[in-house]
Amino acid sequence: MTTYIIRRVLLMIPTLLGITVVVFAISRFAPGEPVSFTGGIGGQIDTGQTDVTSARMKLYGLDKPIHIQYAQWLWRVVRLDFGDSIRHHRKVSELIKERLPVTLMLNVIAFLIIYAVSLPVGILAAVKHGRLFDRASSAVFLMLWSLPVMWVGQMLIGYFAGPTFKNWFPPAGLSSNYAEQLSFLPWLTDRLWHLVLPVLCLTYTGFAYLTKQVRASVLNNLQADYVRTARAKGLSEPAVIFKHVFRNSIIPLITIVATLLPAMLGGSVIIERIFSIPGMGLLAFEAITSRDYNVIMAVATIAGILNLAGLLLADIAYAVVDPRICFESTVEAL
Amino acid sequence: MKQDEILLSVRKLHVSFSTEDGGIKAVQDVSFSIRKGRTFALVGESGCGKTTIALSIMRLLQAGQGKIISGEIIFDNQDLLKLSEKQMRRIRGNKITMIFQEPMTSLNPVHKVGNQIAEAIRLHQNKNAKQAWADAVEILRKLVVSPSNQAGVAEPEHTALPKGILCSAYPHQLSGGMQQRVMIAMAASCKPALLIADEPTTALDATIQVQILNLLDRLQKEIGMSILLVTHDLGVVSEYADVVAVMYASRIVEKAPKGQLFAEPFHPYTRGLLQSLPRLDVSAKRLEVIPGTVPEPLYFPAGCKFHPRCPIGHKDKRCRTVEPELREVQPGRYVACWYAPGYEKR
Amino acid sequence: MRGAKNKKQKEQSHERKRVGLSYGELVWRRFTKSRLNLVCLIFVLFLFLLAVFAPFIANDKPFVIRIDGKLYFPLLRNLQPSDYCIFLAAVVVLWHAVGPPSCFRKKAGGLHRNTSGLGLSVAIVSVGAVLIFVFVPRRFDAVDYKEMVDSGKATGAIFAFIPYGYARTELASHRQPPSSRHWLGTDDVGADVLCRLIHGSRISLSIGFVAVGISVVIGILVGAILGYFGGWIDFIGMRFVEIMMAIPVFFLIITITAFFPRSFLNIMIIIGVTGWTSNARFIRAEFFKLRKQDFVQAAVSLGLPLRSILFRHILPNAVAPVLVNATFGISSAIFIEAALSFLGFGVAPPTPSWGQILSLGVSTSGRFLWWLTLFPGLAIFFTVMAYNVVGEGLRDATDPRLSKAA
Repeated sequence: MTTYIIRRVLLMIPTLLGITVVVFAISRFAPGEPVSFTGGIGGQIDTGQTDVTSARMKLYGLDKPIHIQYAQWLWRVVRLDFGDSIRHHRKVSELIKERLPVTLMLNVIAFLIIYAVSLPVGILAAVKHGRLFDRASSAVFLMLWSLPVMWVGQMLIGYFAGPTFKNWFPPAGLSSNYAEQLSFLPWLTDRLWHLVLPVLCLTYTGFAYLTKQVRASVLNNLQADYVRTARAKGLSEPAVIFKHVFRNSIIPLITIVATLLPAMLGGSVIIERIFSIPGMGLLAFEAITSRDYNVIMAVATIAGILNLAGLLLADIAYAVVDPRICFESTVEAL
Repeated sequence: MKQDEILLSVRKLHVSFSTEDGGIKAVQDVSFSIRKGRTFALVGESGCGKTTIALSIMRLLQAGQGKIISGEIIFDNQDLLKLSEKQMRRIRGNKITMIFQEPMTSLNPVHKVGNQIAEAIRLHQNKNAKQAWADAVEILRKLVVSPSNQAGVAEPEHTALPKGILCSAYPHQLSGGMQQRVMIAMAASCKPALLIADEPTTALDATIQVQILNLLDRLQKEIGMSILLVTHDLGVVSEYADVVAVMYASRIVEKAPKGQLFAEPFHPYTRGLLQSLPRLDVSAKRLEVIPGTVPEPLYFPAGCKFHPRCPIGHKDKRCRTVEPELREVQPGRYVACWYAPGYEKR
Repeated sequence: MRGAKNKKQKEQSHERKRVGLSYGELVWRRFTKSRLNLVCLIFVLFLFLLAVFAPFIANDKPFVIRIDGKLYFPLLRNLQPSDYCIFLAAVVVLWHAVGPPSCFRKKAGGLHRNTSGLGLSVAIVSVGAVLIFVFVPRRFDAVDYKEMVDSGKATGAIFAFIPYGYARTELASHRQPPSSRHWLGTDDVGADVLCRLIHGSRISLSIGFVAVGISVVIGILVGAILGYFGGWIDFIGMRFVEIMMAIPVFFLIITITAFFPRSFLNIMIIIGVTGWTSNARFIRAEFFKLRKQDFVQAAVSLGLPLRSILFRHILPNAVAPVLVNATFGISSAIFIEAALSFLGFGVAPPTPSWGQILSLGVSTSGRFLWWLTLFPGLAIFFTVMAYNVVGEGLRDATDPRLSKAA
């Protein structure tokens, strides 16, 4: 098992390097220069080659040849030094340390909710496939998936968090202004209250996809021969499902976990924008509009690393759960 | 129960299912009895309905595989078809067990085989996990090791393995023959009265086939169980069966003790099957075949279902219009053919 | 006797009917069993027609107008090259869907249901598009025909059903809620929302199809090569695929669109170029499975060229999951485009886009302009749902397992 893990980690290294190259290349070869950003949100005023520009370029090391720049950047990244943000005038690693937990918290909560709903609904839909529950849940989730996120976000804010209709939830931010002065439990409640709408927006899209996958996997296994054997032994139907079908069905779902993670990190950009939540998504968005290269590269790299880590975890979990992927076995020759 | 008493009796079983193209009669008016300690073979080509009968006895037919329309299955003085699901579960895996054709896919790939055998034991014999595991190890060991005077049962390489290691394996680590032994261990663990074997050796190599069948034979003598052997292989039937029923297109067309059936088949289909077996002692330029193909279940011919392919029937008006029922023409011999000897006494 | 004969005839005709069902017809029958599938398919067709005929449905130039006794046809004269491109694409798609007219059928033979036929039509569309853009001049007619009618300079005119242009701005009537003049209201520069929605459907659908087309083509190429050759090629290739998968796609899209000039074509290409990884994985898995099969060995032993083996023999068997995935790709592309427009990176005005109208929902003064949120939102919702239902229906209809379970 440990050899397997080591092998997978080693395989990840070229991919990781590749990510850094791609990230670096995109930010460097794209038109537009960071130092031509002289002001205005989202604006690019091209000041041309002036002395100020060339001095700034020297300051940020942008005058050296491209591969030297890459090597320098890579060397700093390995030591977790992502440089300074041109826009915020702070160290990028600090910014990320502030923002990353926020995004992670948002995504993890949404993730848990999605799984908590999709697993039982998917299993039930598969067991009762073709019947009302199956068709109804499928239709409902499909409708949910078809709702565009920005629309839902705006409607939620407009109807539930604004002055015109109900004012149940706060329209923006992570905590109220007075939050620092609260003790832990009220602070937590306040934080959760702020999270309701954004988490709602993040989760509803995930139901459809995951439920479909769960249902398909369970359905697939329900028709398998070993289920027939289990029934022939005299097991009751619930026992068949939980002792036999369930464990086999979740195997393909583990890889889905790995693919769900990158998708969610991308989706939170919009949510964070709509709800003004200071997370990685919003950081990335602002960095892109202001051509803040260090931040862009840092966010992309970290997101890439997180995704690869997710993939690795998924592979390891896969090997743990499915004995067919065992790498040490004493009875192999049988 | 004395020897030769009737253990299970199927009476006028009808099974059909509906598809998007129409209704299919998978099993029509099938009746037979299995005696204690005997091997009853159900022979026929693919699609004739024999597996459906086997699943019906166990009441394992799922939604898309058919519905039992009418009939009775009498076992232990009860009609199995009238039992509640809970009562049926006490019989399944316990008094009536079943093994299947593909042992690889019939075993759960993520559970150790020992646990799969033990599961049956724990379910019906009220033992805890440790006891059940010990039982499983013992049963499997017995199936692997042969007494020295019986050839063709054991897999020699395994006899020297440490105890319990086979049970700790996962199905994909075992060979086909070994997997089938696991299935048999599962099925025999509760000493059933009837073991249904649905094409148990079709997926295995020829040498392993012999081993497995000998194993079943040995188990039968030890436990005293009856075996319902569902197969399409007449060679297997000739070695191991006591009574044979031949099925064609959802009906039983001939039923007889093995020796009499092979010596003198009464039904043209049986005759055709036996004639088409290649033989080493007779030289021939061409192999015999039964002309035509098995009819589609949706479009069964009128009259005797075999008549389009029958040397007598395809010309005969009665064969084309009226379906012959299964009649006892001699004590213990049943045939469904207008031209079978003794069929038309009245 | 006669009864038996009739039954036999019925059986034979049954036989013929059953034997005659081709794979496509079988899939169609299963697909249409659900009424919802049919409804959504009709809706998709309706959108398709809406997009193709948009300039005829909503246009501020009349079909025909009489000025000083002479008849002019401003609408027809002002058709842009993009309109002609869309007509060409529509004709090619119809050709594929319905089959060539019967006079060509004998000559075309098996051409119209063949992956090489598909390649041919893609080539036709691409070459045609380029030619059209080169040779058909862009027209720009700023004449206000409505004003001419009002003031009496023109004596008679037939306008399109919705007499507004998507680029026509009337600042005087901006930000108006739905009324009898503007059925769905106006946006922040006074353009009619309904008209922009209709023309926006073109953008959404084109982006959907082209982006998905690009991602399918790249995915098939990559997946086929990786899956067929395996070994080192697969090893290195999978590293690239993993890199593409690890970088958050949406982030990548935003980055690239932010850096390159905002254009319709760029967005299509970018969405296509970033979305091919799932297709590649499907194709690769299928190719792994299929390359060991006997028919491939037979093709190799016949000495067929590689591209023939890959694309004429293996690919038609491997392509099913990708085709089904394509419908979801279209929905996803529509979403991405809307999101990009919402964030400000999408197509630039005056090109209409549903996402762009959505982004105007909350005005700079904080007013909630509900008609600018509701209608494009509904449009996206119904379109995406229709495509998803069709995709699901297609997946269920082509799933071989369902015939076993039924």
